[in-house]
Amino acid sequence: MGGYGVILGALTSALPVEVRTGGDKLDQPVTGGYASDLLSNVMGQAGAGYIWVTMQGHQNIVAVASLLGLAGIVLAGGVAPDEETLRKAQREGIVLLTTELSAFEITGRLYSLGIRAQ
Amino acid sequence: MIRPFKADLHVHSVLSPCAAVEMTPRNIVWHAAANEIEILAITDHNAADNVIAAFQAAKDAGITIIPGMEVETREEAHLIVLFEKMRQLKEWQQYVDVHRGSSLNDEQKFGAQFIVDAEDNLLSVRPEMLLAPLSAGLDEITRHVTSLGGICIASHIDRPAYSILSQLGFIPAGLDLTAVEISRRLKPQDAVQKFPSLKGLPIVMNSDAHTIDDFIDGPKTVFHIEEPTLAEIIMALKGLNGRKAVV
Repeated sequence: MGGYGVILGALTSALPVEVRTGGDKLDQPVTGGYASDLLSNVMGQAGAGYIWVTMQGHQNIVAVASLLGLAGIVLAGGVAPDEETLRKAQREGIVLLTTELSAFEITGRLYSLGIRAQ
Repeated sequence: MIRPFKADLHVHSVLSPCAAVEMTPRNIVWHAAANEIEILAITDHNAADNVIAAFQAAKDAGITIIPGMEVETREEAHLIVLFEKMRQLKEWQQYVDVHRGSSLNDEQKFGAQFIVDAEDNLLSVRPEMLLAPLSAGLDEITRHVTSLGGICIASHIDRPAYSILSQLGFIPAGLDLTAVEISRRLKPQDAVQKFPSLKGLPIVMNSDAHTIDDFIDGPKTVFHIEEPTLAEIIMALKGLNGRKAVV
């Protein structure tokens, strides 16, 4: 199984998330998911097409998403992205989502919609 | 005349909850003198209340205190911030106090946070949880320290926790860091190969001591400078005017 076939836009419409940047890139498939706030760890563990749940709002999350080719980032727990993060995500066409749900809760909901770690 | 000064710019006193009770400013200064350490920064977590006692204790010991603090950013990365003057550090402390959370320290779990004088007398205990992230992020904090005339050094970047690299993966471009600190686990010559984003940043080594044994045995940096001031240290880190920093 796994998340192949789940389109990012299907997740954003099914979940209480706000699409902050990359609204024109929601037609891509989501291949897996990962949750961590240590970017050094994310860089080693997440892969292309993953959706990544984090509480880290620093601009480096955009660089990590770019580098790995992630499908998108979910900022959980009501964390507001830094302004530079938003600007950079906009510029680089990265899908950045925010949610009031906790990291645990949003991860669980993604899992229940068929997203798996590979 | 330029000469070598042995320096330790990252030492915790009894104000840090995790430090041993022997880490009073007077005791640290005494051991610095006994070990030919001439430049010292007392860098407690998010607080600077014991720096003044270090100044007083160091007055007749031939040791220079650089006013400093170890700050925890919103991203949970640690930074050593250093200033030329105590007045600047006090201004910085006000910024830190505004950006601190409201949690209280649990002495049983984390240890007590003692403010002492230069004769090791207990003055008071800080009730707030000092070992916690501020609400301000790395970019904002580095900008503010710079605007006050201070410098930022990323703490123990090779450690798996509380380091800018563990939290953020790599050093963001354009961040106002004067140097990075590596722990004794990493050899300076291996640093850039292991962490390419350090390229071009000067490297320092400090004890990050929480006990006197760590302070004596821990790594140090030798600055080849004319006099023990922050301005000279900055020149050494930048390799200007014949100054240099040796790790």
